Amino acid sequence: MARLTAGITTSHVPAIGAAIDNGKTEEPYWAGLFSGYQWTKEWVQGPGRPDVVLLIYNDHASAFDMNLIPTFAIGCADEFQPADEGWGPRPTPKVHNHADLAWHIAQCCILDEFDMTIVNRMDVDHGLTVPLSLMFGQPEAWPCKVIPLAVNVVTYPPPTGNRCWMLGEAIARAIASFPEDLNVHVWGTGGMSHQLQGPRAGLINQPFDNAFLDDLTKDPERLRRMPHIEYLREAGSEGIELVMWLIMRGALGPHVRELHRHYHVPASNTAVGHIVLEKLS
Amino acid sequence: MSTDIHDYLAQFEDIPGTRVFTVARARKGYWLNQFAMSLMKPENRERWRANEPAYLDEWPLSPEQREAVLARDYNRLIDLGGNIYFLSKIFSTDGLSFVQAVSTMTGASVEAHQQMMVAGGRSPEGLRSIKEGY
Repeated sequence: MARLTAGITTSHVPAIGAAIDNGKTEEPYWAGLFSGYQWTKEWVQGPGRPDVVLLIYNDHASAFDMNLIPTFAIGCADEFQPADEGWGPRPTPKVHNHADLAWHIAQCCILDEFDMTIVNRMDVDHGLTVPLSLMFGQPEAWPCKVIPLAVNVVTYPPPTGNRCWMLGEAIARAIASFPEDLNVHVWGTGGMSHQLQGPRAGLINQPFDNAFLDDLTKDPERLRRMPHIEYLREAGSEGIELVMWLIMRGALGPHVRELHRHYHVPASNTAVGHIVLEKLS
Repeated sequence: MSTDIHDYLAQFEDIPGTRVFTVARARKGYWLNQFAMSLMKPENRERWRANEPAYLDEWPLSPEQREAVLARDYNRLIDLGGNIYFLSKIFSTDGLSFVQAVSTMTGASVEAHQQMMVAGGRSPEGLRSIKEGY
């Protein structure tokens, strides 16, 4: 049977992708950020290597415009191309899906009362490709299958933290009932504190971010109940992306162990947070 | 968390210097955002660069939205229903990064904004609530 073994969270700032694509990772501005991913790069390509990653991210007005605003959309096609976000597509490999598992999760979640939107034709933007680049570098092909799961955190209301958590639980049940022997990760991306608009742009809240990282293991119930207004006030208008981390956290179940953590300010306008959690039985 | 939509939306007006992308804003900015989105296609970017006013004639924008697009006035565009992820297609086409474009909304120079970020960013102190001033 498929086994969900680990969760990874990371910010997915587009400038990180540009730094990788343009060979700037060792420049003084970027070196501190990338050094914090070294442990994970070795682990995820070694002992922790997944067969499949269910990658939770938000589309930034790339595949979905104002015409379609799905709250939870799961990519079910065999492959997805990197999106052209206004400066040409990133030079990253195309994403190969585990379509059998993706369709299995979609069907199970619907019977479990999560009415997922199913997407076939969908280009994937920096929200999905930057985390892959951070973990796997610049290979010819991504070393695992990737199931894209896009969450609306642009048009209000986005899903509540509690709803995200419950979706994670439903996803975990779906993975556990898939008959193929697979090592599966769930990655939650986006955040941490950042605001990209208006006179308050550039907001960073390090105490809030570090408490959020702590409570993924210490007090996840606090995070599960956090109202949207608290994200907006404390972590900036785009800090709301952190609700997506709770899908990952809900999927892992009550018992987890933190394997690695990294926090860095800034990447462009954003505080970068990264954590690796092992699921314990 | 409040599940009453009126209470839910009312809270958002209390955050200084922030326009939450509510349905009211999304409806007001529908064509503005769709226009911006059209710049994801290279052939559209080419036509846009060749003649911005003529390109805008193809989209039913309000006169205020049209003026703000041509002026690259991003605070005003957000007031007129624009969303930053959609508007990013305009500044990406101009060759600007998020840091460069975002700094135009803060009243600081790009250099000063970048320095503030490197020094740890803007503190939330005093910027969480208009009513309660914390």
